[in-house]
Amino acid sequence: MSDPDTARTEGTRPKIGPIDGDPVTTHPDLEKLSPYQRGLREALLREFKARKVKKFVEKQVKYINANRQVTEEIKILFDENGQPPANAPMEDIIAERRQLEYQIKWFEAMVLELQTRLLRVREIEALALDVLEHSPEA
Amino acid sequence: MAAPLFLLAPPRSYTSLINAMLGQHPEAFGLPELCLFNVEILGQLWVRSSDEMGSDAKTRHGLLRAVAEIYGGEQTMQSVRMAEHWCAARQNRGVASIYQELVAKIDPLVAVEKSPAYTVDVKRMRAIYKAFPDARFLHLTRHPVGQCKSVMSLYDGTFALFVNSIEFLADRAVVEPQYAWHDFNINILNFLDSVPLKQQMRVRGEDMMSDPPEYLGRICRWLGLRHDADAIEQMMHPERSPFACFGPLDALFGNDPNFLSGPTFRPHEVKMPPLDKPVPWREDGQGLKPEVVALARELGY
Repeated sequence: MSDPDTARTEGTRPKIGPIDGDPVTTHPDLEKLSPYQRGLREALLREFKARKVKKFVEKQVKYINANRQVTEEIKILFDENGQPPANAPMEDIIAERRQLEYQIKWFEAMVLELQTRLLRVREIEALALDVLEHSPEA
Repeated sequence: MAAPLFLLAPPRSYTSLINAMLGQHPEAFGLPELCLFNVEILGQLWVRSSDEMGSDAKTRHGLLRAVAEIYGGEQTMQSVRMAEHWCAARQNRGVASIYQELVAKIDPLVAVEKSPAYTVDVKRMRAIYKAFPDARFLHLTRHPVGQCKSVMSLYDGTFALFVNSIEFLADRAVVEPQYAWHDFNINILNFLDSVPLKQQMRVRGEDMMSDPPEYLGRICRWLGLRHDADAIEQMMHPERSPFACFGPLDALFGNDPNFLSGPTFRPHEVKMPPLDKPVPWREDGQGLKPEVVALARELGY
C-alpha cells in the first residue's frame, strides 16, 4: 500500500487577483489588462508615490526640530529638582529610553550624511584651488 | 543538521511576533526576514529590477543583520559591513546553498524564519522545499478583514500595491488587499498539497494571541522540541530576540517596523469581524468577494 504522505502533488486551486506574475518590482504580466486599465494602474502608482513623498517631507521637517523635541520628551521624567518622580511607570521610562535611542540614531545618520558631504566639498575645493594655483594667470 | 521551520502566511498575519516567540525557544534560533528565496542567485538581491515602487534595499536588511549576528556576534555598522563582504564573496552562489550554510552554522538550533514574500509565488516555496526536503511548514492564518485592515494601515497599503492587489472600477483603480489575502493563502494551500502532512501544521493567529502557551506547546510537540514550562516561558518574550529592535543604520529593518518598535507580547482576545458586511477600507460599501468568504470559512473563520 502506498504511503499517503509520499507522492503528493501541488494543488491547482484558482487565484482571483486581476494581475498575474511576480510583484511590481519584477515586471508583472499586464497582458490581461486593457490599455485603459493600465493607465488607471499607472495613475494609482503615481498617486501613491506622491503621497509617500509628501509624508516623507513632512517627517523630515519634523526632525529638523529634533533638538527641541528631545528636551520636550525627557521633561516628564524629571521634576523641578532634576529627579525622576518616585511613581514614574517603568513602561514610560522604557518608552522614553527607546525614543531617545531612535533619535540618537537619526542624529548619527545626519552626522554621517553631513560628513560625507563635507568630504565631497573638500575634494572639490582642493581641486578648484589646485586648478587656480596652476592657471597661467596665477 | 536540524530541519528548519518556515512560517508561511501573507504579511500582517502575526508572523513577526510568532516567529520571534518560536525563535526564543531554547532549542531554536529565530531569524529575521531573509527573503533569500525571493531570488535564485544571492547577487540578485542587490539588483534593482524596476523603478515602479522605489528602493528595495530593505529586503537585504534581514540577511545582513542575521549574518552580522551569527558570524560577528553583534549587530553594529562594522559587523553589517562584514556581512556585506560575506554576501559579496558568495554573490554568484545559489540561495539554497547560502541558506544551508546559515542553517549549518546555527545547528543544532532549529532555524525559524518567515518572509511573507515567499507566499507571493508557489515557485519560491517550492525552492525552499527543494533546498530543505525535511523542513517543517507552519501555515499561519488571520481573518481576512483583520489582515487587510492591517495591510492598509501600514504605509497606505504599500504591500498590497506592491503585489498588484488592485481592483479596477469604471473610472479609477483602487488598492484592494483581499485579492492578496486570497491568492497568497491559495498559493500556500497549493504548495502544501505537495508536502507530507507530518511536515505541515496550520494555526489561526488569533488563537495563538488568546492562548499562546497552549498553541506554542502544540507546535513544540509537533516539532519534537521540549515543551516544558521553562521553554514556554522563554517563548513568551519575543522582545528578547536580538532581531526584535531596529538594527544599525545600514541595516535598520529586516522585519515589520511596527514589531521592531514594539516587540513585547501581550495576550489578548481578537474580535472576529463578520464576513458578510461592508469592509472598512472600501469607500463604496463593498464587502468581501465570495471566493474570499469561502476560503475564510475553509480556514475556520
